Amino acid sequence: MTRDRQAALVLVIVSSIYLIFSYRIPSFEIAVMDSDALPIGLGWLLLALSIALFFFGEKKEDNQSQPISRKEWGVIGAVLGSTLVYVFLLEWLGYILVTIPFILGVTALLGYRRWMVNVAVAVGFTGITYYAFNYLLNIYLPQGILPF
Amino acid sequence: METLESLLYGFQVAFTPENLIFVLIGVLAGTVIGMLPGLGPISAIAIMIPMSYGMSPASALIMMAGVYYGAIFGGSTSSILLNAPGVAGTVATSFDGYPMAQQGKAGKALAIAAICSFIGGTVGVVALILVAPGLAQVAVSFGPPEYFALMLLGLTAIASLADGSTIKAFIAAVVGLMLATIGIDQQTGTQRFTFGTPELMEGIDFLIIALGVFALAEVGFMIINRKESLFSSWKEVGSLKLTKQDIKELAGPTGRQSIMGFFLGVLPGAGATIASFLAYITEKRIAKDPSQFGKGSVKGVAAPETANNAACTGSFVPLLTLGIPGSGTTAVLLGALLVYGIQPGPLMMNEHPDIFWGVITSMYVGNMILLILNLPLIPYIARALLIPRPLLISLVILFCMIGVYGVSFATFDLYLLIIFGVVGFLMRRFRFPAAPLILAFILGSMMEQSLRQSLTLSGGDWGIFLERPITLLLLGFTALSLIWPLLKQWIAARKRNGNVAA
Repeated sequence: MTRDRQAALVLVIVSSIYLIFSYRIPSFEIAVMDSDALPIGLGWLLLALSIALFFFGEKKEDNQSQPISRKEWGVIGAVLGSTLVYVFLLEWLGYILVTIPFILGVTALLGYRRWMVNVAVAVGFTGITYYAFNYLLNIYLPQGILPF
Repeated sequence: METLESLLYGFQVAFTPENLIFVLIGVLAGTVIGMLPGLGPISAIAIMIPMSYGMSPASALIMMAGVYYGAIFGGSTSSILLNAPGVAGTVATSFDGYPMAQQGKAGKALAIAAICSFIGGTVGVVALILVAPGLAQVAVSFGPPEYFALMLLGLTAIASLADGSTIKAFIAAVVGLMLATIGIDQQTGTQRFTFGTPELMEGIDFLIIALGVFALAEVGFMIINRKESLFSSWKEVGSLKLTKQDIKELAGPTGRQSIMGFFLGVLPGAGATIASFLAYITEKRIAKDPSQFGKGSVKGVAAPETANNAACTGSFVPLLTLGIPGSGTTAVLLGALLVYGIQPGPLMMNEHPDIFWGVITSMYVGNMILLILNLPLIPYIARALLIPRPLLISLVILFCMIGVYGVSFATFDLYLLIIFGVVGFLMRRFRFPAAPLILAFILGSMMEQSLRQSLTLSGGDWGIFLERPITLLLLGFTALSLIWPLLKQWIAARKRNGNVAA
């Protein structure tokens, strides 16, 4: 199956779910156009467009987008996972304590081996952004368990 | 006369030392970010928004205009030096810019790009000053039906002009509109698609979608290509000097394309990419020696570079006078304005003259800084491309995180950001354009509001859209932009059949 068809099938599911929830929006009698009108219209429109994509999309697979090897998917997944862990720990441990290991870890994970540079960037970037946001811009990044 | 006075006032705003520094920062940051392959003006602006939080709205917008220009110029730098356009609007620049670089004339190509950008931008600013006040006056009389028709036109235009599949562009636009329906309905107070989550009551912040679908999605591709050494194709920049002959050759294309680019930029949906391609094709067609194009022609660099900058300036016209963005980038700029608490539109010129005129003049100043400062610095700025990819990837992820956290202070939004990053990555993988999505998302709530206001005005009668001449005209254009892709296919098919028959 071509990519366009795969995408079309996913979109049919998405539009169906969206439509189900659109019909569940509580109605409000007085309004000339109620709040569920647009979502319902959009839901049907997306459904129609995804069916159109299924039938009129690319018939042949183009070779322009390069295939991603299993190993590369693994790397992408690992970066994604690290980012999720980062968000999970951010407010708990604080910006400084999660950002430094994040930079060190992700950079090393991606194959960078010059540790001196890595450490310098991790500490420098984290320190400068933390100082700039918390003390110059008054936008408070999470302090976490550190006293400053 | 009034315009001249306002203009001088604008220069006063733009020339305060503070604002000059902000333009400078904006232009430099924009150049560096725009140069990185994949990160274009949308990412550049979205990344820089958090830096502008503490500033006055005028200064913030002045900086953003600089980021925008810088990003376009940075895109042309990587087009010329590496044949890796950072921005769609500079793809056409690489056709002749990269061959020039391979011939050891990168410096000359960069100089042409900078000078032509400056001319295109400057002519654009003058045209903007002439056109904007008049248009704003017309726009004051616009009611909800006109606004609705106008936004609908903008949306269909960008979808039908997007490169690649039109169906996919429309799907992206519809998904953008759907995302805009999340949150409390402004008219009835009904909750839509919030699933009882308090974080979703206010709707999704545009910054989450902009950073996710553009910047964070690009990270995925940066990871895949991280081992590619950008500098394998790096040559010495060489002299920046132009000969008299070069300047003679430049005059024609820059003159024509700055005007044409500006008007293409004003049109909703067209923008820098189309302007630059059209400029390249036109100049090639009317050139005495078209065979030079693609082999390092001076004109081939000049035409798209003039046009894309003129178009960028042109795209500010609908944003500043109507409050309606005509492209993905101006949509993000509009989002930024709303963050600063400013609603652009026909009234902005009177209510916030400092912003209106300050921005226009700072565009001029930004262009000048690009020329004077950036050009000689380019060989050094280009070294940003030497930052090891793995480090760059971690830092881009963090910039996105800080940007979102700085608005909402909620980790919920960070999870949303990651989700949109994944969605954006898959969209790129499956070849869905992202610009219609962000434009539709930002226009979505405005469109719904004006649609419902119109219907409330008419008591539910859809005929209101056919009674008003401007609305009717705009809807006519909308229909045309819907039919256009079909027409294009039909013509292409006929041509092919004709060739076969012959």
